[in-house]
Amino acid sequence: MAVLTVNDLCKTFGAGTARSNRVLDHISFDVRGQTFVSVVGPSGCGKSTLLNIISGVETHTSGDVSVTSDEGRPARLGYVFQDPRLLPWRTVRKNMLYVQDKDDDQARRRVSTYLDMVGLGQHGDFFPGQLSGGMQQRVGIARAFAVEPDLLIMDEPFSHLDAITARGLRAQLQDIWAQSRKTVVFVTHDVVEAVELSDRIIVLQPGGRIFEDIPIDLPRPRRQSDPAVATLQAEVLARLEKMKAITPQAATAV
Amino acid sequence: MTDTLTRRRSTEEIARSRPAWQRRLTSDRAARLTFYVVAFLFWIALAGLFERIPGPPSVVDSLVEEFRRGEVFGNFADTFYRFGIGVALSVGVGILVGVVIGLSPMARAFLESPVLVGLSIPAIMWAFLTVMWFGFGHTSPIVTTFLTAVPFVILNVAQGVQGVSRDLRDMSSSYGVPLGRRVRELVLPAVAGYVVAGLRFAVIMGWNGVLLAEWFGGSGGAGYRARFWYDANQFAGFAAWVVLFVGVIIILDQLLLERLSRRMFRWRDATH
Ligand SMILES: Nc1ncnc2c1ncn2[C@@H]1O[C@H](COP(=O)(O)OP(=O)(O)OP(=O)(O)O)[C@@H](O)[C@H]1O
Ligand SMILES: [Mg+2]
Repeated sequence: MAVLTVNDLCKTFGAGTARSNRVLDHISFDVRGQTFVSVVGPSGCGKSTLLNIISGVETHTSGDVSVTSDEGRPARLGYVFQDPRLLPWRTVRKNMLYVQDKDDDQARRRVSTYLDMVGLGQHGDFFPGQLSGGMQQRVGIARAFAVEPDLLIMDEPFSHLDAITARGLRAQLQDIWAQSRKTVVFVTHDVVEAVELSDRIIVLQPGGRIFEDIPIDLPRPRRQSDPAVATLQAEVLARLEKMKAITPQAATAV
Repeated sequence: MTDTLTRRRSTEEIARSRPAWQRRLTSDRAARLTFYVVAFLFWIALAGLFERIPGPPSVVDSLVEEFRRGEVFGNFADTFYRFGIGVALSVGVGILVGVVIGLSPMARAFLESPVLVGLSIPAIMWAFLTVMWFGFGHTSPIVTTFLTAVPFVILNVAQGVQGVSRDLRDMSSSYGVPLGRRVRELVLPAVAGYVVAGLRFAVIMGWNGVLLAEWFGGSGGAGYRARFWYDANQFAGFAAWVVLFVGVIIILDQLLLERLSRRMFRWRDATH
């Protein structure tokens, strides 16, 4: 069953004004439960806008977006942002409880479980300012998983981190995902990362249309050293190059 | 020759290069003390020059007399009772209205003008009006304190709420955090600095208000007692009360508000 349905979605910023800017142009796709979908595309093609519309932070101009939960309650969303977005005046644990439905024993247990999973079990009583950037980002990831979301959306969660930290967190994300099997929409402009993590890659082109929808059929866990992974990464990159050749705006954007 | 463009000095080196007496002389405490000493000397000079300005000895005499007559504590008790209620009301209402204005553009459009009107009406007007409305007693100083202070609290808090990080607000709404929790955990801590600033205004403006209302209200209190000496043409007695007013404000501000703001910003100190 589809957890996320996007149907004929359009978004125009400043519609009806001189600076009207169409960012998403008749986008349609479904995401089935327990799959990990990446959205890649050049800078400015509307990836963050798409996520903000899905999460309800931004309104769309026309079309349909719906997230369903199979338990007959409103769907729960987890959002990992490009930056940690933690309340600086609350401890790590309080930050994670802040987005929970209720502050009860179950919520506390979930918070502890996911803090342990990202390796911060000892840091629950620290303030965000006492943690490094990478640790804060891990709190952001743990916070999103700990709400047990029907849909988890992530917007370039590793792009602000150094390469080594990012690689460690990617491996950690794969492990957590393998255990929890959440439905994920993951935005990145790093094709290598997308192939490593996803069941499917949606390629957006400048102007906000879907250029291609590529299934990634590789066994998990995937490691950089695996030749099959490297081959597919090269292939997807080649297709992106093709897109650049076709859509001239993209050539400058990536 | 080698040029060192900029050499950073360590805290240890800085400490070593300045002798203890020099450090003490340039400390904050020394600066504060210097002000009080200079102000006191200035007062003595003025009193020596002008006959109608009472000097320190006569003011101290009057102060001692007032204490001896038992006028100080009773009148201050009245004043503090009125002031306390008025300030507490203005802080409570001010935070509430400030948050609502900050969060809702409709509330802002509706309430912005009355707040501006409130800001522009001086305490002395409220003192007159409330004495006309409520007569003598506790009500008029309490209402004057409240009306004088509340617009400042509202203005400060509303300004703070509008500055709350957009990113954190988006984060909260994407997770569907309920409004009450959002106000408690995100908005109020984010505007804590503005709340303290608002509280400071409330204390100072409210103090103005309560003294003026008592001055015109004739129902006891510190302001009333100051007027008593003024009407009796006893400037030393009047000045004694002015000294008391100033002392109270300084103590309130330094002791209470300083401590409060230090408590509220503990999270910030923890990260350094
Ligand atoms: N609030 C806004 N008002 C007007 N235009 C906006 C707004 N937010 C985004 N845009 C425009 O929408 C377009 C897409 O922005 P978006 O942030 O979705 O891109 P992106 O694909 O996430 O890029 P990046 O990879 O750099 O993060 C950009 O051209 C941007 O100028
Ligand atoms: Mg983006």
